[in-house]
Amino acid sequence: MENLLEIIDLHAGIEGKEILHGINLTVRPGEIHAVMGPNGAGKSTLSAVLAGRPDYIVTGGSITFAGKDLLAMSPEERSWAGIFLSFQYPIEIPGVSITNFMKAAVNARRKARGEQELAPAQFLKLLKEKMALVGMKGEFAKREVNVGFSGGEKKRGEVFQMAMLDPLFSILDETDSGLDVDALKIVADGVNALRSPEKSTVIITHYKHLLELITPDVVHVLKDGRIIATGGMDLADRIENDGFEGING
Amino acid sequence: MTDEKDILAAAVEKEYSEGFVTDIEQEFVPKGLNEEIIRLISAKKQEPAWLLDFRLEAFRKWKAMDPPEWGHLSRLPKLDFQDIIYYAAPKKDKDRPKEIDPALQETFDKLGIPISEREVLAGVKSKVAVDAVFDSVSVNTTFRKTLAEKGIIFCSFSEAVKEHPDLVRKYLATVVPIGDNFYAALNSAVFSDGSFCYIPKGVKCPMDLSSYFRINASGTGQFERTLIIADEGASVSYMEGCTAPMRDENQLHAAVVEIIVEKDADVRYSTVQNWYPGDSQGRGGILNLVTKRGLCRGEGSHLSWTQVETGSAITWKYPSSILMGDNSSSEFYSVALTNNYQQADTGTKMVHIGKNTKSRIVSKGISAGHSENSYRGLVRMNPGASHARNYSQCDSLLIGDKCGAHTFPVIRNANPTAIVEHEATTSRISEDQLFYCTQRGISPEDAVGLIVGGYAREVLSRLPMEFAVEAQKLLSVNLEGSIG
Amino acid sequence: MDRVYIVGIDEVPKRLNLAEREHLRLTFIVMPGVSAEVPFEIKIGKPGVHLEIFGLYLSPRNEQVRFDFTVRHLVGGAHSSQQFRGIVGGTARAEFDGLVYVAPDAQKTEAFQENHAILLSEGAVAESRPQLEIYADDVKCSHGATSGYLNPEELFYLRSRGIPEAEARRMQMISFITPVISHLPEELKEQILSRL
Repeated sequence: MENLLEIIDLHAGIEGKEILHGINLTVRPGEIHAVMGPNGAGKSTLSAVLAGRPDYIVTGGSITFAGKDLLAMSPEERSWAGIFLSFQYPIEIPGVSITNFMKAAVNARRKARGEQELAPAQFLKLLKEKMALVGMKGEFAKREVNVGFSGGEKKRGEVFQMAMLDPLFSILDETDSGLDVDALKIVADGVNALRSPEKSTVIITHYKHLLELITPDVVHVLKDGRIIATGGMDLADRIENDGFEGING
Repeated sequence: MTDEKDILAAAVEKEYSEGFVTDIEQEFVPKGLNEEIIRLISAKKQEPAWLLDFRLEAFRKWKAMDPPEWGHLSRLPKLDFQDIIYYAAPKKDKDRPKEIDPALQETFDKLGIPISEREVLAGVKSKVAVDAVFDSVSVNTTFRKTLAEKGIIFCSFSEAVKEHPDLVRKYLATVVPIGDNFYAALNSAVFSDGSFCYIPKGVKCPMDLSSYFRINASGTGQFERTLIIADEGASVSYMEGCTAPMRDENQLHAAVVEIIVEKDADVRYSTVQNWYPGDSQGRGGILNLVTKRGLCRGEGSHLSWTQVETGSAITWKYPSSILMGDNSSSEFYSVALTNNYQQADTGTKMVHIGKNTKSRIVSKGISAGHSENSYRGLVRMNPGASHARNYSQCDSLLIGDKCGAHTFPVIRNANPTAIVEHEATTSRISEDQLFYCTQRGISPEDAVGLIVGGYAREVLSRLPMEFAVEAQKLLSVNLEGSIG
Repeated sequence: MDRVYIVGIDEVPKRLNLAEREHLRLTFIVMPGVSAEVPFEIKIGKPGVHLEIFGLYLSPRNEQVRFDFTVRHLVGGAHSSQQFRGIVGGTARAEFDGLVYVAPDAQKTEAFQENHAILLSEGAVAESRPQLEIYADDVKCSHGATSGYLNPEELFYLRSRGIPEAEARRMQMISFITPVISHLPEELKEQILSRL
């Protein structure tokens, strides 16, 4: 089957400093990959480059997504193509309600795909359905985007947005950090509910906990800007027991 | 990083869709300002002698005054007051003087202003009574009869002078004296039309009242005069809107609005100001130099100002409240957006005279392009204002690094039981916010609109529904091309 | 550097230019009985400057005090904060004029300014004109000004614990001015508190 994402020899960094020194990664439709690694390994740089953060500069290599050159696309074009990044630190947008934010996002995508805007009733139905998925109550839709959210609410909010936008390819950037057991379960259930044979996910994490709830097909270890090991869940087990120090490329 | 800047720049450039000119035959008074011109305007309007005397006295005062220079307005051009036409009116069809000229009907249709009652009654537009002013004259005032049944007077200022001279005479210039300031004196000398409303004792106005001001003729200025009186226990919501054609010349708009609020009465005054702002190089645009003031005369009276200022090359206005009655209260909620080379110096004055008077100020300035945006305010607690309270919050949002955002409040407290609090902050649209929105598929232009709308929400949410939607649109439109 | 000026006794400079990366703390104290105009302008023309200004005015009788402070950020990457607190009684009049100016391109400036006044009597006047003039977008600037009185609930609380009214008021005043004097040497602090 054709690859959904293909990263070849990717070099990238920020403010003139190279952080990723030649990443190779291939994700096929339906697969879940985990990228594990210590602090400063380049995990968040990888997610930022995939989503097209303007201050990250790619200095070499290529990324092909669904047969297209991803690096030539703007952040919103990548979003329309089906890439979703669950932010490690979701951004506050004061005064803008979740409802209005999602309406703008959903309709921008529909417009980009040549589809009609959703009628208000349809949109509200979708909103309610996806809120239920992450256990959010009606009031949630009226709240300002991420303003005054607890850590858990922010992460659940990200999974809710992911459900709303129905992406082909999701990147969960440390979505598990700062979550208690119950919140982790809700997030994992949400992600699992969205699994399908066409859709792929990359889970970026320090720890194994989330991977016990969302079983990955492949586990990679990212260290010093390179993928130094690739394997299955056994690799995650080894890291849990021995730490990242014990893994060598 | 060109991308961020380009994005912001691209998001702010947009067409001013109200910039058309109506082709209609108009009559003018000769250019320039002198006693003869004032007599001519007064005669055209068939005014009583007392009003002509009022104008002439104002003119004498005005001649002795100098234009104010204290605003933070480096681009305010030196105005040649002899180079302005002070009166312009569409010619009436002699055979059908009562009918609205189809060209005017079409103009207001295009602007979305219902100047006939039919469209409102048909449910196309929400129920608002409109006084539509075209250059120097009122074209039509809707729902006069419906309102009159409740004793409410809502008509053009000229009609009020004819039909209710005692009321006009009783209240005119009681809040803004003839010689209050340079532009108020000018207005008092040459004012043409505007709106008059009187809400009698105990009456709650059953519909929103609104005035719409349209400048059309070239070389003219507009000098409207609005007088609103809410008698004891009355309440009314009043809205005003305005637009003008796109021209390379600056046109002067110097209005005076006076509001009198009696005991337990409530007036909510909303403005969406969308005068032509000039082009992206700062050529042309309306010079909006207005005086608006309300007197909360009675005990427990309440006056609320809400303004959304997106237009005009220069805005110089400070809607103010004098809290004379004990327990009276007032609010000022403002969003002022400037882009390109626009300049706004706007804010409010809250003068606390009575006991237990309360005021609240929420000002949101948004500067983009090369514009300058200043909040200027005064909160004064007089010695008798026991237990008075004020809270002010003035925020500035900067979009790009070529604009300026300033805050000039004055706080004067002379009462040991009064409390005044003022806070001001500046912020910008962060790259993180933009990226977060674009990652969700929202275009950078829309993202800026969304973020600015959120920033201004506290103010926008105070506008009547239809106005709020319009204001939100204006914010996005006027920001086009600002990202950069 | 830490400098303290007792207005009326010490000579107060009218302007200062700061060297690169200079860390400076200035305190201006106006004691009871002193009427004064204190004009002061500081230009930050070098990056890395960290400036803290504290001001205290105690004007219980018929004093006329006016601060006229300007802090100009001409380059980016500097920090300034100003905090003024005053107690005004009798027929005294205290004015605070404060301008924070941030020049074009003075990015990453942080500038904060506050003035808080307490009025003790009818006839006393406090006037505040805190001003921000900002020409750069990537900055953190804020100002705040309040004018009010000693909290009567707080006073009642203290008295209900058996503290006599005069002493309770004094405690409230101490608590109000503490933010602008806590960094001063003990001896000077004692001296200030003894004048309340």
